[in-house]
Order: sequence, then structure tokens, then C-alpha cells
Amino acid sequence: MTTLLVAKQYIRNFVGKYEVYLKPLMKLAVALAALMMVNGQIGYMRRLDDISIVLIIALMCSFMPMNFIIFVAAAFTVLHLYALSLECAAIVLVLFMVLFLLYFRFSPKDTLVVLLTPMCFILKIPYVIPLAMGLLGTPASAVSVGCGVTISYLISYVAENAAALSGMDSEDMVARVRFIIDGFLGNRDMVLTIAAFAVTIIIVYLIRRMSVNYAWTIAILAGAVTDVIILLVGDLMFDTNVSIVGMIVGTIFSVLIAKVVEFFAFHVDYHRAEKVQFEDDEYYYYVKAIPKITVATPSRTVKQINTPRKKSSGAQTRR
Amino acid sequence: MINEEKVILMTRLASYEGNEGKKDMAAVHYFRGDYIGFQVLKSVIAATISFFALFAVYLFYNFEQLMQDVYRMDLLEFGKSVVVLYLCFVGGYGAISYVLYATRYARARKNLKNYYGNLRKLAGMYDK
Repeated sequence: MTTLLVAKQYIRNFVGKYEVYLKPLMKLAVALAALMMVNGQIGYMRRLDDISIVLIIALMCSFMPMNFIIFVAAAFTVLHLYALSLECAAIVLVLFMVLFLLYFRFSPKDTLVVLLTPMCFILKIPYVIPLAMGLLGTPASAVSVGCGVTISYLISYVAENAAALSGMDSEDMVARVRFIIDGFLGNRDMVLTIAAFAVTIIIVYLIRRMSVNYAWTIAILAGAVTDVIILLVGDLMFDTNVSIVGMIVGTIFSVLIAKVVEFFAFHVDYHRAEKVQFEDDEYYYYVKAIPKITVATPSRTVKQINTPRKKSSGAQTRR
Repeated sequence: MINEEKVILMTRLASYEGNEGKKDMAAVHYFRGDYIGFQVLKSVIAATISFFALFAVYLFYNFEQLMQDVYRMDLLEFGKSVVVLYLCFVGGYGAISYVLYATRYARARKNLKNYYGNLRKLAGMYDK
């Protein structure tokens, strides 16, 4: 455990020291991963499905604000869908426009979640998002996660039905629009996932703020169990064909990742918790103070043992 | 000799100025009514654009049905229901915006009050 704590301290020091370089590097990595995943899922426009273009745009993103990556990923998605069908691109454009205009005006900090949610869906660990947002965010994050889930399902629906869409009569635009909207809105799996994730975020948030020992760990486990139960019950009720094994394995991985988040964001020693009680003129105070676990990183010092001689007398020895 | 308390205070002030402070100062620059009114106006414009975009998708989705019924349906009644829906949508969104930006304005004033308090404290340290 001490080794892990020392490693955490080293990482913190390292990040603090090189933040100026690490921030653009992180943005580059996120932009690169996001754009490559968009290309991998719906790479219908040949010109955009090119690693050199992706690299140039990702490099550009690394010097721009974080929200610019979301804008670029949305533009990539719409352009790819335009290559598949005009109607599909128009519907997705309207969806993005409504999201940007109505929701992201209020909470620009949460926009990254909308990007990370579809990425986690592709990596088969979407369950980590409600756990992490419950730990680090607020119940309002449920809306951002809901938007992310919606976009993710829309993209995967289009990717699955690309052959059917391109096979439809190009004259019949209305039929195409109806096909996309009916398939998208009738997706019970999506509605169920949004509901499960929203409930999970609220439960994790409420439990982690409670004044009980190991609140964060209890919150993670309770959130994971709630998520699995809602998805399973929903599967039984609506026959959504959720892969049970995939869900359980994904949830276990997500719990592990959430524990890592906990390790970095909230690591305290419950054994040394103190409860104190005092009063002032207006209130009685019942305070529970839990010390953070911190270790000092071992620092290497170079100690000069021999007495320094005159310059002419020779070299100095160091250990 | 470095005065640690002074350095901590200055760091806190600089951090606030660089991040939240910018938005707070921009908000408090306006009178409360002007700030909230301007933000609600922007929200109404955003809601109007969104409503018409969604309405266009609805029209396109029901295009065939609408074309069949266009001579039979009461267009005035249809127009009225669209206007009522629009007003509900924009009104609801505007109300949410009002509450949110009123809260933000109050928070910005409180933060700036703390900020100026800390500035005075810092100035007092130099006077000693």
C-alpha cells in the first residue's frame, strides 16, 4: 500500500511539475482516440478516414479548449453520416444543435462526459461513467450522461443499419427519415440504459456524501449493483437482449476503475477518524474529521563527505 | 524572508482571477436585472432555434400524412396548438434559465465579495 501511495505522490508531483506540457498531450490523446473511434465506427467519408487528417486535427485540438474536441467530433460524425445519407446527417445535426443550444450553455464543464460516454461504450465499459460521475460530479451530470448515451446509441444504430439505409430508394427521403427516427426512438435498450445510469449517478452521489465510514466504496458497490439490477429487470420486462455476461464483466472492470478514481480523489484513513463536539453562541457542532493518507516521496540527497580541497588539488568524490 | 501566509493568499487570489473570477466579474459588471434579462433573452433565442429545428423534423417525419390531410384539417387550430406548444417550450426553458442565472449572479457577487475581502487583507499585510 505504501508503494502505491508513494507512486500516487510521484504522479501528483510529476503532473504538477509538467502540467503545461501534459495538458495539451492529454487533449491530443483524447482527440486522437475520439476521432479514430468515430472513423472506426462510421468512417463513410473516405477523405476524413485518413490518419494524417486525424493527426493534424488532433494536434490542432491539443492547443484549443477542451470543448473544441467535442465540436470537432460532432462535425466528424455529421460529415461521415452525410456521406452515408443526407437525412441521417440532418437528423444528427438537429440532435447536436439542440444539445449544444439547450443544455451545454448551462454546463460547459460536463461536455467532456458526452464525448467519453460513447468512447466507453465502444470500449465495452460504459458502466464506469455513471460510477465516476456519481463520485466526481453532481446529480445534474445525469443529463450529460443521458446525452452521451443517446449519441452513442444513435451512432451504433446508424452503423448497424448502414446497409439498409444505403439500399433504400434515394428518392424516398421521407421513408429514410421515418426509418431512422422510428428505429432510434423505439430503442428500448437506450431508454433503459439512460434510466439505469441516471439512477446510478444519483445513488452513488447520495451515498458518497453520507457521513459513514468507507462511503465512497459503499457508493461504488451500491451503484454497480443498482445498475446491474435495473438493466436485468429492464431486460426481463422489455426484452432488450442485454448481454448478461458482458454486463457483469464490464461492471466488474468499471468498479475497478472507479476504485482507482477513488484512490486518487478521496483516500482517507478511517481508522484515525475523530469525532469532536463543540459549541458557539449560535450552534452545536458535531464534527467528524477523517485524516487524509499522505506519504512524503523519498528524496535523494547528495551528501559530500570529504572536505573540499583547493581547486588545484584534484577531483571531488560524490556518493 | 518569504511570508507564507501572503504567498498562499496571493496564489488563491490569482487562481480565482484566472478561472472563476473572469466569469464572475463579467456577470457583476451588469446590474442584476440586465444580466438575467440578457441571459434569458439568449435562452429564448436558443430555445426558438431548437424548437423550429425539431418542428421541421416533425413536419418532415409526418410529411405524407400532412399532405393527405392538408385540405381536411383545421389549419387555424393546428397553428394555435403549435404556438401554444412553442410558448410552453420557450416559457419553460426561459423560467429554468431565469432561476439558474439568478443563482449564478448571487454566487458571483458572494465570490467577488470574498475576493475583495482577501484583497483588503493582502493590502493590510503590506501596510504592516
